[in-house]
Amino acid sequence: MLLRGLTWLVVFQLLGTLLSVLLVPQLPGPILGMLLLFFFLLLRGQVGEPLTQASTSLLRYLPLMLVPPATAVILHLELIARDIWAIAGALVGSLLLSLALTGWLMQRLIERQARRRGES
Amino acid sequence: MSLDWQGAWQALITHPLFGFALTLGAYQLSLALYEKTRWVVLQPVLLSILLVIAGLWVLGMGFEQYRQSSELLTLLLGPTTVALAVPLYLNLRRIRQLLWPVLLTLVCGAVAASVLGVGLGWLLGAEEGVLRSMAAKSATTPIAMLVTEQIGGIAALAAVFVMVTGVLGGIFGPELLRLIGVTHPAAVGMALGINAHAVGTSRALAESEECGAFSALAMSLTGASIALFLPLVAALLV
Repeated sequence: MLLRGLTWLVVFQLLGTLLSVLLVPQLPGPILGMLLLFFFLLLRGQVGEPLTQASTSLLRYLPLMLVPPATAVILHLELIARDIWAIAGALVGSLLLSLALTGWLMQRLIERQARRRGES
Repeated sequence: MSLDWQGAWQALITHPLFGFALTLGAYQLSLALYEKTRWVVLQPVLLSILLVIAGLWVLGMGFEQYRQSSELLTLLLGPTTVALAVPLYLNLRRIRQLLWPVLLTLVCGAVAASVLGVGLGWLLGAEEGVLRSMAAKSATTPIAMLVTEQIGGIAALAAVFVMVTGVLGGIFGPELLRLIGVTHPAAVGMALGINAHAVGTSRALAESEECGAFSALAMSLTGASIALFLPLVAALLV
């Protein structure tokens, strides 16, 4: 079951790569693969058991897989040190502003929808 | 009889699985430490990166050698990114009643997080490489890395930005939202999911199930929309 699900995932990634090279060079293969699989699931209307098994197993270990590529930051320590204040300011500032904006907006939209439902 | 210690040591650290072993060890140690302390700051991935860097430094091993001997894990990242379609589909199917508020907030939030990040960085004088790595910071890490590479930024830098953002959002997000009077569980969940990815979602789950569901949905949708639109927008602009 796990292998069958894994096969699907790899096939979709390879399809994504083909699509990326042939038609949409702006999007990377795995991302096109994800979108293709998403549309496939929409059409099919359900997630089969093999795919559920493979995706939950892989996603559980996603944090582990991120360690090697993220460790490449050691190659860019100089750049980070040079821009550390700009980086800190941009990350913290944009996070706080955007958190407040999204929370406030969503709450307003929910209230508006509730009012409309109440009226009609 | 004299044993060839030098040769044995070389065979060990140049083994094609050495980096894999180092990563596994560092990750499990971090996981155990996180589970013991439950401090949000000790995110297993961030801690693992520090441990691996320390390990490489102690062993005097170059990054290139580590990269090659941990390639097994990196190769699996592709199919795992494809697998993100499954939670996206399941989350989307679960939430129907607030579809328009969700979509509108998603678009505004994802654009705001990206534009504010790049804009503030630019105002504060960050270099172009940093700015390009900042744009995708509200997508989950694997997506942010792919997109960043595509738009000419540094993938590893984007990964660290995403993780730091997630930790900060997970720590301060719920407090900040309470402070400005955002109390609806769906609104809190959306804000945490759009801005603080997985760490935010685990905080949202601790608040309530509804909050967690919206956060998971927001995280999936933000990732997918940044994956789809950011490279296209960047291709148009540059």
